[in-house]
Amino acid sequence: MSDAPLYEIKDLEYRYGDKFILNIPHLTIEKGDSISLSGPNGSGKSTLLKILAFIEFPCRGTVSFNGIKATNVNAPLTQNVTLLLQDPYLLKKTVFENVAYGLRVRRSKDNLTARVCESLRLVGLPPERFAQRRWYELSGGESQRVALASRIIINPEVLILDEPTANVDQQSAFLIKEVISSIRKKFGTSLIIVSHDHIWRNQATDKNIEIYEGRIREYSTHNIVRGPWTPAAEGLWEKNLPDNQKIYAVNPPDKNATAILSPSNIIVSTEQPVSISAQNILKGIITSMNLEKEPGKVRIDAAVSGMPLTCCVTQHAAGDLQLIPGKDVWVVFKASSLQWH
Amino acid sequence: MGYILNGFVRAGILLATGNPETFSAVFTTLKVTSMSIMASLFFGIPAGFFLGYSNFPGKKHIRAVVDTLLALPTVVVGLFVYAFISYRGPLGRLGLLFTIPGIALAQAVLVLPIVISLTATAIEGLDRRLKSTLLTLGARKKQIALTSLVEARHAVMTAAVAAYGRAISEVGISMMIGGNIKWYTRTITTAIALETGKGDFGEGVALGIVLLLLAFVVNWVLILLKRKK
Amino acid sequence: MKILRIMVICFTFTAVVSCTGNNTLSGDKVLRMATTTSTDNTGLIDYLAPYIKADTGIELKWVAVGTGKAFVLGKNCDVDVLMVHAPDAENQYVDEGHGICRSQIMYNDFVIIGPKNDPARIKGKAVSEALNRIVEKSASFVSRGDDSGTNKKEMNLWKSARLPVPDREQWYIQTGQGMLNTINIAAEIDAYTLTDRGTFIKYESNYKGHPRLVILIEGHSSLRNQYSVIAINPDRCKNAQFELTMKFINWITSSRARKLIGDFKLLGKQLFIPNAQEH
Repeated sequence: MSDAPLYEIKDLEYRYGDKFILNIPHLTIEKGDSISLSGPNGSGKSTLLKILAFIEFPCRGTVSFNGIKATNVNAPLTQNVTLLLQDPYLLKKTVFENVAYGLRVRRSKDNLTARVCESLRLVGLPPERFAQRRWYELSGGESQRVALASRIIINPEVLILDEPTANVDQQSAFLIKEVISSIRKKFGTSLIIVSHDHIWRNQATDKNIEIYEGRIREYSTHNIVRGPWTPAAEGLWEKNLPDNQKIYAVNPPDKNATAILSPSNIIVSTEQPVSISAQNILKGIITSMNLEKEPGKVRIDAAVSGMPLTCCVTQHAAGDLQLIPGKDVWVVFKASSLQWH
Repeated sequence: MGYILNGFVRAGILLATGNPETFSAVFTTLKVTSMSIMASLFFGIPAGFFLGYSNFPGKKHIRAVVDTLLALPTVVVGLFVYAFISYRGPLGRLGLLFTIPGIALAQAVLVLPIVISLTATAIEGLDRRLKSTLLTLGARKKQIALTSLVEARHAVMTAAVAAYGRAISEVGISMMIGGNIKWYTRTITTAIALETGKGDFGEGVALGIVLLLLAFVVNWVLILLKRKK
Repeated sequence: MKILRIMVICFTFTAVVSCTGNNTLSGDKVLRMATTTSTDNTGLIDYLAPYIKADTGIELKWVAVGTGKAFVLGKNCDVDVLMVHAPDAENQYVDEGHGICRSQIMYNDFVIIGPKNDPARIKGKAVSEALNRIVEKSASFVSRGDDSGTNKKEMNLWKSARLPVPDREQWYIQTGQGMLNTINIAAEIDAYTLTDRGTFIKYESNYKGHPRLVILIEGHSSLRNQYSVIAINPDRCKNAQFELTMKFINWITSSRARKLIGDFKLLGKQLFIPNAQEH
């Protein structure tokens, strides 16, 4: 079964009461992959992570791990996969015992002390100072690092991380990212990461899966434009923005529909365009610029009336137009570019 | 006022001179309560754990019953246990009436609901993330249960102390089941009741002081344990 | 683990503790007796117990309850021997077959005590007249109310005076407790009460000869208080230690015991007069 994919998900459904949390007809993740999951809050990311970690089980459908179907009673699978939550729970013991726990439950007691100390060193917590500290004597970043140490010590096949650097100080964030890359390099651990830090996401992962309202989207980045829409002239519908600007769209299914706008459909200009066919000509300001994974591409985050829009330009264009964060720009796109969800 | 002060003076003398009757009552109390606490913890902690940890039909009802039993009056327990262990009762052959183990048994019955209920609460109060954390670190069902119990140890210890407090301070059971027999089943509390009734205030005060000291010691041990953890 | 260590220590401690000392009442030479609070409160049995142990090797364990409760304990086979003071009830008990070998051991008398200022003016009167005066004046009267020997005597006195036995009257207080407790309660509220002389002398000595309540009526033939021992019938109770009981009864009716009982004094006064007949 060595050529079976790491994960194969078929017809997965997860419900909570009446609400559909996840609905994934098909998803494959290969061994050695490093992928990120993105999506707005409430999109079902966390639930999917828990399912991939075999802590939750779907109401319908199957999840296969290395070709073997995972069922509720198949506990041994949790031995290969581990999940680190955003706000991790530490056991009410010393740091040493917390890190050693994974080994103890596997009855893997050889060289325990040495392995624990090494794990602690890896995450930047020198054992001499930290091993005997109690669970309440740690800062947020230190706690997160202890939690990470307790997971990498068991050498998992898959490491799943839910916002690992969200609530930590800069130094801890740096160390955590370092450790994750180094174990991937050393052991080829598969990674599944959810992080709002999209720079790191792009660096650390090869592929991004986007989840929106429980389903997987094909678009790799997203602009989401929500309703309400009111009828406007010429068959168009409009959405009002706080500073009296408007966004125009075509034929929304209902007046509260949500639209997706791909960054590749947005044009950035430093001057107000005249005589142009696009109906949406909006004024905004650049909030940040980052190098895209694709070579020669620059990602631009702009704020239009407070609403974030992500666009993409070539490096060349960015230089020519002298685009920098803080610069006023015009953001242009057709009404038909808004695709309905 | 002099009458009360006299009592304290007499108490001091009794304690300082190691008065045998006083100390017999103290040791009897210690024997009885050690046995009753150990028994109630031995049965109560697993039961409380099971009640708090698992889900089964009727769980809410059983919990309600246990919580009601928290307020059992000591004389009611004494009455029921007496009926059982008197020679004519079902457990009569064990010869437990008027003995220390007999009192311990009845006290264990009295405090068992306390241990069960507070342990269940302790388990229910565990962080919701605990189970998934243990799962993801690779723990099995039994390991998860055991680790969960250890995680709840502070609250469980508090339950034990609450139970001990109830056991050591009750009179009704010790009186009815023990018979307040001098040198044998006279506990601190029954002795205080007896001496006060007879009019020997000093002896009563002496024993009362010892009882308070015992309560302080137990609490102090708990604080020590909590701090170290 | 630290916790495990602590628990092991506690369990071993408890185990050791429960094995040491005299935990049970059923040993080779342990005799279980139910007796009255009057005999216990006076300290007579505390005084006799070591002699009994020395002379016969019997370890006496006794519960002090009212006579009525003692009878029940005997019926339930929870004790081996009774020491009580209610002759009529005792005879009935033996007739019903619960007890055998009833033997008189000592007597004293009952006295009616009350506050020094005697509000109902009963001092020196006959018992019946005194009770009538108490009823007329609604003077506070405290009763044992516990079916004890003293209580039974009190009931008889009411009946002999042709008065209805009081129960819910406001001046009639039923304590349900032992003799010394009852006297103390009566002293607190300045009431009259019936007691055996032995317990009264004990009460007197507790207050160093200056008690709040004093003897107002004594010496009448109706106030005689006879103590006896009764063995629990081994045919009815398979667990009754009959041999040991008979050894005890032989001892307590012996001349040695009679001397000891006669010598038992508080405040220089003798509490019980031995009157056992040789077996």
